[in-house]
Amino acid sequence: MTRNGLRKGHARRGWSIIVLLLVFTLVAAACSDDDEPSETTASTAAGSTETTTTAASGAEVSNPGVLVHAADDEPTSLDPAQVEAGEGGETVIFQVYERLLEIGESGPDPVPSLATEVPTLENALISADSLTYTFPIREGVVFHDGTPLTADDVKYSWDRVMTMDLPEGQAGTLSDTIAATRVVDDFTFEVTLQGVNASFLNAVVPSMVSSIVSQDAVEANGGVVAGEPNEFMTTDMVGTGAYKFNVWNRNENLQMEINQDYWGTPANLDLRIEIGSDPDIRVLGLRAGDFDTIETDPSFIGDIEGAEGVTISSEGLTVEPIHIAFNMNAPVDELPGTDTIPADFFLDPKVRQAFNYAFDYEAFLAGALGGFGDFNPHYIPIGIFGYDPSAPVYGQQDVARAEELFRETGWWDEGFSVSVITEEANLFEIAALVLKDSLETLNPNFEVNVLAVAEAQFDEAHASDPVPYAMWVKNADPFADPHPYLSSYAHPDGEWGEIHGFRQAYQDPDQVAALIDAGSVELDVTRRAEIYAEVQALLFDDPMWLIAAQEGSVVAYRSWVQGFTNNPLWPRPSLKFALMDKG
Amino acid sequence: MQIRAYITRRLLVLPLLIVGTSIIVFTLTRVGGSPIGIYLSHEMSPDEVAELEARYHLDDPLPVQYYYWASGVVRGDLGWSGVAAAPVTEVFAQKLAATMELAVSAAIVAVILGISLGTFAGARRDRLPDHVTRIFAISGAAMPLFWFAILLLIVFWVYLGWFPIGRSDPDVWASISHPTGLYTVDSLLNLNFVAFRDALWHLFLPAMALGYGATAIIARMMRSSLVEEEQEDYVDAARAKGLPERLVLRRHARRNALIPTVTVIGLSFGFLLQGSVVAEIIFRWPGLGRWMADAVLRGDQATIMAYVMFTAILFLLVNLAVDVIYAYLDRRVVLGK
Repeated sequence: MTRNGLRKGHARRGWSIIVLLLVFTLVAAACSDDDEPSETTASTAAGSTETTTTAASGAEVSNPGVLVHAADDEPTSLDPAQVEAGEGGETVIFQVYERLLEIGESGPDPVPSLATEVPTLENALISADSLTYTFPIREGVVFHDGTPLTADDVKYSWDRVMTMDLPEGQAGTLSDTIAATRVVDDFTFEVTLQGVNASFLNAVVPSMVSSIVSQDAVEANGGVVAGEPNEFMTTDMVGTGAYKFNVWNRNENLQMEINQDYWGTPANLDLRIEIGSDPDIRVLGLRAGDFDTIETDPSFIGDIEGAEGVTISSEGLTVEPIHIAFNMNAPVDELPGTDTIPADFFLDPKVRQAFNYAFDYEAFLAGALGGFGDFNPHYIPIGIFGYDPSAPVYGQQDVARAEELFRETGWWDEGFSVSVITEEANLFEIAALVLKDSLETLNPNFEVNVLAVAEAQFDEAHASDPVPYAMWVKNADPFADPHPYLSSYAHPDGEWGEIHGFRQAYQDPDQVAALIDAGSVELDVTRRAEIYAEVQALLFDDPMWLIAAQEGSVVAYRSWVQGFTNNPLWPRPSLKFALMDKG
Repeated sequence: MQIRAYITRRLLVLPLLIVGTSIIVFTLTRVGGSPIGIYLSHEMSPDEVAELEARYHLDDPLPVQYYYWASGVVRGDLGWSGVAAAPVTEVFAQKLAATMELAVSAAIVAVILGISLGTFAGARRDRLPDHVTRIFAISGAAMPLFWFAILLLIVFWVYLGWFPIGRSDPDVWASISHPTGLYTVDSLLNLNFVAFRDALWHLFLPAMALGYGATAIIARMMRSSLVEEEQEDYVDAARAKGLPERLVLRRHARRNALIPTVTVIGLSFGFLLQGSVVAEIIFRWPGLGRWMADAVLRGDQATIMAYVMFTAILFLLVNLAVDVIYAYLDRRVVLGK
């Protein structure tokens, strides 16, 4: 046979082998088990130093002795004096530091923590004029560096926040409320407020900025300098909590170990918070068993539902409503060139009502939020004291009413074009797009330009005064009391009230201000709830925002996790890892 | 001597190229918007924002801003990373080792496999091994890295549990010292073979994913070059002299076939660095790429500048190396003329 003939023979044999292999593969695939991953095969590979044990359910538990949580974002600081509200650092601070009072597991009322009692008028720990609060400090508590906790540390912790007064932190939470702090004795701490404040025990004392730090540790590492961050405290932690901080491997993980000297019920497992995975990778990691709990978006529930060994917790709502702002103070000359609205466009309450009626709430809830969420009244989120279930809510699109209102205002025929700025590639952008779709479908004369920009660009615009856009989308900061919400997002002279010109927009700004102020100093809970019910009814007719939805609190975890407890009033992801166990 | 002089000349020109690149990149990033946003929080007053702008010289004209940035670089200060909340220099050093370890591993995979497969295929032109290699090359070039990487994770991590994600087992990592920051090297320096195995085990999937595309391109180029060289008269002459086929291949044909292949390898390293961004995100590799991705999404210009400059310098150095290797492989090449 010639060389060529030999080659052709080889080639024919080669192709036969390939065909046989393909057929074998197809047959093998057809005969294989179902597509669901088995828990046992999701365990770590042989040769690893990680071992597995078997859960009571029969599944192999990965990483025994360590609870592994996959977080959404990375902290920018671990210092309570520097951490921003709702930011990743609060998650860690919540586990390692403690406060005088905490929001209990079943919430929303505060329970004793480093203080042994919740001050009330009845137990005389609140003075008769309601200005002075006395906190008995728990004895026998030691910091992670072995030093004992005293009232001096409490005063030092709060004073340092107010002295440093970092613009990126939450110093205002304390400095806007507190007139003076005093050490009565080693285990008695006293606070005098600037004025009667009904939200002090709910919103200020349990907040992460009020965490108690070790005076000795801070003084040994840079001390307190007004206006400047403390480098040690940014990256290290010395608290009293159930977890001791070990190490922060940036962009990788944070590691904490059980505090063996904890005064309360010790944690069962060490803790490792894995940082900043892609959401898809977090889901895969949960299915692989490498992660015990993950933060996830409602849009990923479909990828997890039905997966073996995985449980989804979707009870409760986050307390950070997603809102779209109406900027009554927008500098018309500086708006994007495509905007045609006049300076007084949003001063007319009918225009704001019309926007609220036009928005397709169901589309946003069912689409972006995967059905996990609800609609809250203006402006108290569901789950916060004072929320009135009977309050009127913009939770359903009403195109007829929207059209009627736009006709009454004269904009129906004239039309308008307005821009809305948002961070790109997240729920906020989707909310803006739903607004665009809702209005442009309602009337082709209406145009909404969605400017989806990088987070830094959005933050720059958002921090400006005046904000150079007529509308923007973001979520509210989380609080445990109604007053900060109303103060920030409804009060005519509050944070956004001043920036956006609420006082010129409200039909009766003094009435709104008076009600909100009354609620902030009313210590009788029944009367306080009545005041807030009145506020919510009032704000329905005079909305300063379009609240797209209150997002559902969704956390997915491996079924071998025990003691899973989720309270939306805790910092995101609303978990206290010290309560959990595996097996 | 000639090569040494050439290298010296190229190294002397390098700083000018770097400065030119930095000016272009700096201008482009500033055109995209002010970098102040990454340092802001919405509770800051306009006065506080203005104070921050003054602190970072962001209220100065662009050339003045460049001057401050450049003088900072000379002092070793690359600015503050808003994403990492730490000095860029500090974070960069930590991340660089991780990225280089991944990129070099992928490059080793790509070069060894690519040249071997290309030689194997080229020597068996139009036969089954050649066809299989071509299919391999086409799929490598066509398959998006992110898709292939996730596929590998789903199969080998989620379903089979054979390989992990991330760079290391935290406990094993903590058990050794890290003088170089390269996990594989540090584990050997510590004579800790558990750590070495852990390093390789974590490196396997991301290196394979990242190296696959480059392997395919190198194999294809090697195969084509080899086929061309085998047509040359000198190869016929070598065969006529009675040399075994494997020696004809190794000593003659492959050496010359490597010349264009080396150029492709040099270019591929640049693509590996770019691809490392995706690989690091998918495999949770704590390298420059992941950090850079966050920086781009969040507008952290200090980080972006540092990364782009690093990539540019590396690219320039790698191309210099490629030119030198070129001259070594082909004695007819005269550098600098």
